[in-house]
Amino acid sequence: MKKHSIKSRKRQEKTVNIISFVVVVLLAALVMLPIWWIFRSSLMNNAELFQWPPSFFPSKWLFSNYARTLEYFPFWTYLKNTMTIIIPAVIGGTVTATMAGYAFARLRFKGKKFIFSLCIGSMLLPTMVMLIPLYIMWTKGLHLENTYWPLIIPYFCGGGAFNIFLIRQFIKTIPRELDEAATIDGAGHMRILTQIIVPAIKPAMIVVGLLLFITIWNDLLQQIIYINTSDKFTIAIGLSQFKGSLKSDWSAIMAATCMSFLPGIIFYLIGQKYFVEGIVMTGMKN
Amino acid sequence: MIILKRKPKIRNELLRKEGRTAYLLLIPAFIGLVFITYLPLCAVFGLSLFKWEGIGAPAWAGMANYVRLFTKDPYFFDSIKATVLYALVTVAGGMVWSLVIALLLNRKIPARGFFRAVFYLPYVLPAMAVYLGWNWLYETNYGLFNFLLSQIGVHKAMFIGSSKGVIPSLAVIAVWLSGNLIVIFLAGLQNVPRIYHEAAEIDGANSWQRFWHVTIPSMSPIIFYNLLMSLIVNMQVVTPALALTNGGPGNSSCFMSYLMYLYAFRNSKISYACAIAFIFFILIGIFTVILFATSKSWIFYEAGDDK
Repeated sequence: MKKHSIKSRKRQEKTVNIISFVVVVLLAALVMLPIWWIFRSSLMNNAELFQWPPSFFPSKWLFSNYARTLEYFPFWTYLKNTMTIIIPAVIGGTVTATMAGYAFARLRFKGKKFIFSLCIGSMLLPTMVMLIPLYIMWTKGLHLENTYWPLIIPYFCGGGAFNIFLIRQFIKTIPRELDEAATIDGAGHMRILTQIIVPAIKPAMIVVGLLLFITIWNDLLQQIIYINTSDKFTIAIGLSQFKGSLKSDWSAIMAATCMSFLPGIIFYLIGQKYFVEGIVMTGMKN
Repeated sequence: MIILKRKPKIRNELLRKEGRTAYLLLIPAFIGLVFITYLPLCAVFGLSLFKWEGIGAPAWAGMANYVRLFTKDPYFFDSIKATVLYALVTVAGGMVWSLVIALLLNRKIPARGFFRAVFYLPYVLPAMAVYLGWNWLYETNYGLFNFLLSQIGVHKAMFIGSSKGVIPSLAVIAVWLSGNLIVIFLAGLQNVPRIYHEAAEIDGANSWQRFWHVTIPSMSPIIFYNLLMSLIVNMQVVTPALALTNGGPGNSSCFMSYLMYLYAFRNSKISYACAIAFIFFILIGIFTVILFATSKSWIFYEAGDDK
């Protein structure tokens, strides 16, 4: 009797799994559809784009659209400019978040509770509110208008409370015995951090790096307010200008869009195998 | 004996060293907290009490900026309405969508890693490019969505071109982009202790009962976290207005952040924009407090969990 019910439950479980799989495939197709549509539009000429009914596949794959687009859309310059911001900012954010995360996870010091609450509390503060005073500080105070510094330096200041918290949680999952063994061998805290903790928390650091990358990638507003001249434009600003200058050349706009998709996708594919693991292992329970 | 006597001294010395290392390591984060978080927050309130347009000396204005906002400003109430509406629709849609996807991906299905990557993918695309791309998908005559609608016999919709359609249309994009919520939900699901499920199974609970009485309660802290964070993030919405709608049609997508940007950076009304920022801060604060206040009644904490 009991055996039977377990068997039927197993069978039921299997059916649910099959249904789940079908639903997942359908939803995944739905999620990919916009990306496919944008990509397929980037390979059509404008006459084909404005055809009714539209087709799902281009009649000819016009990769020449990309060459044509590059004539008006200096993608490589924009990419170089964007990377000039992203690379130092991601490194600075990851390193300083690791430093702070280690201090919060492992070290004893006066005022720890207070500083930690300040840090966690800042997660709840909308960064948009601070935009204007920061703008005044960077431009009127430090005269850094039309430079990348206001977009880079903030990331050298801890890389954001969430990232510090993520690193701290991850370090807490590493057995303390490892540190203690190293202490007995005469290693100081800095050596423990660089030689034991950092290698052990690589997945978390990659997650933090990717999150920072995405944040900067998407931060159109700050890029617009700090950067004024076209030789310093990032991909985001470049795209917004490009759209204005070519009102209905949709195939060129879609080609530019697809080009801008690429760096993020590449970065994600490199880091993705660590990604969910990184967040799972931190035991995101607060 | 000698060792015992010397021990406290060594211990103190070690503790002092530990403290010094900690402060050194925390310098960057502390500078960040003071100079780019808490001081600017105070400065916003301070500036909002003056009249200042970016040049010359600020003149004391008291509450004049606030009075003007609430009595004369033609955009202010529209912007609150647009912001709150957008945040509510997006948060509700994003939470349901990402929880469903996470639950599906948590089952034993083939190619899980691949599908996880697919659902996460939109999140890594640059926002500006995403909005440009969707602008074409929403195009009235030749866009994808009106094509799909025409296939099921629905008349053409204006989407972002109509004041009723713009917020839901932008919310669809935001839900599509909510891969980060999925990842955090997945992480939470994988941390639900297996023994709870096994115990429930032995007691004869079916999968629906297990979902409702085991999965959801164990997930409640993470549901709360996602709810809170996505509310705070989505209240600050500005990119769709910058990239796509310019606040229109009418003022229907003139979000508070966008209004603040327009006043501060297009019209140099800096102190007036600070008043908007401060009201904005209070508004988000109110939502946060409400969420925290209700959370006690529905969040289930594991006993002995001190994280």
